[in-house]
Amino acid sequence: MKKYAIRRFIQLIPILLGITLLSFILTNIGTTDVIDTMESNQGVVMSEEEKDQLRQEIGLDKPLAQQYVIWLGNVLRGDMGESFVSGKDVFDTFISKLPATIYLTVTSIFLTVLISIPLGILSAVKQNKFLDYLIRFLSFIGNSLPNFFVSLLLIYFFSLKLKLLPVMGNNSGWKSIILPTLTLAIAMSSKYTRQVRATVLEELNKDYVQGARARGIRENKILTFSVLKASMLTIVTLLALSIGSLLGGTAIVESIFMWDGVGKMAVDAITMRDYPIIQAYVIWMAVIYVVVNLITDLIYHYLDPRIRLGQEEA
Amino acid sequence: MKPKNIWKKAWGAVLALTMSAGLLAGCGSSGEEDSQDRSQSESSSGEKVFYYGDTTFNAENDESDVNPHNGYSGWACIRYGIGETLFRYSDTMELEPWLATEYENVDENTWRITLRDGVTFTSGRELDAQAVKECLEHLVEVHERAKGNLKIQEITADGMTLTIRTTEPVPALMNYLADPYGCIIDMEAGITDDGNVVGTGPYIATEVVTDQGLTLVKNENYWDGMPNLDTIYVQTISDGDTLTMALQSGELDAAYGLPYSSLSLFSEEPYTISSVETSRSFFAQMNYATEALQDERVREAIACGIDKESFTEVLMEGNGSAAVGPFPSNFTFGDDAVTAPEYDPDRAKELLAEAGWTDTDGDGYVDKDGENLTIRWLTYPSRQELPLLAESVQATLGEIGIDVEVNSTANHLDVIETGEWDIYASAFVCAPTGDPEYFFTTHCLDSSTHNRGGYHSDRLEELEAQMSTTFDAEERASLAVEMTQTILDDNAFIFASHLRMSIVSGEGVTGLEAHPCDYYEITVDLDKN
Repeated sequence: MKKYAIRRFIQLIPILLGITLLSFILTNIGTTDVIDTMESNQGVVMSEEEKDQLRQEIGLDKPLAQQYVIWLGNVLRGDMGESFVSGKDVFDTFISKLPATIYLTVTSIFLTVLISIPLGILSAVKQNKFLDYLIRFLSFIGNSLPNFFVSLLLIYFFSLKLKLLPVMGNNSGWKSIILPTLTLAIAMSSKYTRQVRATVLEELNKDYVQGARARGIRENKILTFSVLKASMLTIVTLLALSIGSLLGGTAIVESIFMWDGVGKMAVDAITMRDYPIIQAYVIWMAVIYVVVNLITDLIYHYLDPRIRLGQEEA
Repeated sequence: MKPKNIWKKAWGAVLALTMSAGLLAGCGSSGEEDSQDRSQSESSSGEKVFYYGDTTFNAENDESDVNPHNGYSGWACIRYGIGETLFRYSDTMELEPWLATEYENVDENTWRITLRDGVTFTSGRELDAQAVKECLEHLVEVHERAKGNLKIQEITADGMTLTIRTTEPVPALMNYLADPYGCIIDMEAGITDDGNVVGTGPYIATEVVTDQGLTLVKNENYWDGMPNLDTIYVQTISDGDTLTMALQSGELDAAYGLPYSSLSLFSEEPYTISSVETSRSFFAQMNYATEALQDERVREAIACGIDKESFTEVLMEGNGSAAVGPFPSNFTFGDDAVTAPEYDPDRAKELLAEAGWTDTDGDGYVDKDGENLTIRWLTYPSRQELPLLAESVQATLGEIGIDVEVNSTANHLDVIETGEWDIYASAFVCAPTGDPEYFFTTHCLDSSTHNRGGYHSDRLEELEAQMSTTFDAEERASLAVEMTQTILDDNAFIFASHLRMSIVSGEGVTGLEAHPCDYYEITVDLDKN
C-alpha cells in the first residue's frame, strides 16, 4: 500500500510539469498581457514607455521559454514569485485564502452527506410512493437552480426578510458560513440523493438482499450493513470528485457571499492574466485531484474486499 | 472487521475532518472575527462605526493598497480620506487650494507654490516644503505616469514655499498635482510592506488588505476640523447584488458602485442618493481602415442612427446623460459648447443613399455592389453599459439598414490588434485632472496610443500644438471646444453617454456626496447619526 501511494506521488511530477507548461503556453497565447488588461480596466492611458517599464519590472520582456524556466527554477527553490497585479507574494496570498475554501468544502460536503444519504435511501425504500415522488421532485428543483440564484434566494429570505443571517461572509463569525454552505449543499444533495436512490435500488434487487430477507434479517439491518455498504463505492467516487472541485474554489458563491477563497482569486487571475497566481492555482488543482483520487482508491481497498483480494492475488 | 466498527470509524473520520477544518479556518478568520467583535464593542460603547461598501478597492483596478506612488492606489488614498493633494477640484471642476494656498507661474517652466500653515501629517510631522519635495521626488522616481505628466527637473524647498522647475512647459502642472497620485505623504514615516502610508487626511488607515478592504480610524489632529466617525470599515464587494442586499439589510451604512438596476430600491427614505455626472464617457471610434467608414457620409449616417437619449434613459435607467462630446456640461468646455449630429433616422437613410448604399435586394439591409453594409462593433463586458450600448446601436442602426455584428469580449485588445473590427466602443475618464488636453493627446492625434482607428486631422494637430503651449485656463477651454468640434465634425468619434456616478447612503448618514471627478468620498464632513 505504501509503495502504491509513493508511486502515485512520483507520478505527480510529470503531471505537474506538463500542466504548468501547458497553462503557461495557453495563458500567453493572446497578444495582450496583464499590463494591457490593467490599463483597459482603469479606463486610462499608459504610455508605451510606462508599459515597457512595468513589463521589465515583472520580467514579461523576456522570451516565453525563459520566463517558464525562471518560474520553474524559482518554484523548485520554494519561491512562487509575486502576483503581477497586487505585487504580493503568491504563496502567502494562496495560503491566506485556503482556510476559507477548506472550511467551506468540509461544511458543504458534511451537510450534503447528511442530507443526501438518508433521503436517497428513504426514496429508494419508498419507491413510487408519495415520499419518493416528493424527494425526487425537490431534488429535480435543486438540480435545476443555478448556484447564483439559490444564493440570492437564500440571502433574500434569511438576510433581508428574516434578518437571521448576514449577507456577507467572513466577518460575522460562524453565522457567515451557513448561507454559502447551504447554497452548495442544496445543489450537491439534489444530485446525490438521486444517485444514492438509484444505487440503493439496484442493490435492493440483488440476490443477496432476497437471501437476507429470506433468512429473516431485519430490513433496517439489511439496509445499513449490506445495501448501504455496497452502495458506498459509487457514493465515495462522487464525493471525491465533488471534494476535488470544491477545493478548487467556487468562484460564484465566493463572490456573492464575499467568501475570500481560492475560486474567486483564480477567476480574477485568469481575467487579469496574472500568470504566477494562475500557475500556483494549477499546481494546487493537480495536487488535490491526485491526492483525492489516491485517498479514494485507498478507501476502495477498505470498502471492497474484491479489489483488495484481486490485487493480492495478482 | 465487524460492520459496526466500520461505521464508527467512518463517522469518526468525518467528525475529525470537520473539526480540523474548523480549526484551520478558525486560524484564517480569527482576525476578521476579532475586528467584528471589536467594532461591535465599540459601537456599544458609544463610538461611531461606519461600514462602507465599495467595488473599486482591488488589485484588478491597480488599487491594491493606499500608497499613492503605486499604480492607481492614490485613488484609494484620496477617496478614503487618508491623503490630500496640494490643490483639489471644486464641484464645477475648477482648481481650488487644499494643502497649498496659492501658486504662481513664475515663467513657462517655473512654478512657485505656497503651502498651508498648520497642517500636520498623522505621524506628527509638520507639513512644509521640504516634506512635499521629498514626497514628489519619490513619486517621479517610482511612478512612470506621474514622471511623464509632471516633467519635473528640479524642486527647491524654502520654508513653506515650494518651487518646481520643469524640463519643458507643462501648462496643466497644477491639475496634474491634483491627481490622486499627488497625495502628499510623509516619506520619513515611509511606506509599509502592505502599502500603507502616512497622509494629512481626516482618517488614518490601520489595516489594509488587498481585495478585501481597509480599516480607518479618525485623525484626532486633523487640520480642518474634527472627523465625526471613530472607525470606518471599507469593504470591497465585487458582486452588485451582494452590495445591494448588504445595504438593504443594514450591514452597510453606504455603498458606492451599485448596479443601475438596484438604485431604484433606494429612491425613498431612509436612503439618500447622491449623483453627479462624471467625465467617464462611453464612446465609439471609427476604424479608418474600413473602406465603408472612409466615406464621411457613412460615418455621419451612423452618428445620426444612434439614439443616445433612449440608451441613457431606458437602458441606463437614467443613470447617465446623452453626450455630445467627451466632456459633460459641467465643464466650461463641455457639451453645452459643442454640437454633434442628433438622432435622425431619415437623415441617416438619405446620407446612406447619397453614398450609394440602398436596399436593392429587399433584405432590410442597405447594400452596394452586392455587399450589405455590415459593421463589426467591438466592445467589452467589464463596464456594464457597453454591451447595452452595443444592443441599442444594433437595434437603431438596423432600422436604417446597417447590419451590426456585436463582438463584446474581454479579449477586445487582442481583437484590436488583429484589425477585425469597424467601430470600437469603450469607456474612458476623459478629463481625470479637469484639463481637456489629456483626451486629445491619448485618443485623437497621430501620436496617440489609443487612436485605435487611425484618425488624422491636420486642423486638430495644429490646435494641439497651440494647446501644448497655452497656459491660460480660458484660452485652453476655448481651444478644447474647437478641438472637440473638429473631431465631431469629422464623425471620427461618437460620444454616447456620460456616466452618472451615484453613492447611496443609509439611514442617518450625512456628508457623503458624489463628486464629478470621482476622487473625494470620505471627508471630514461624513457623519452617521
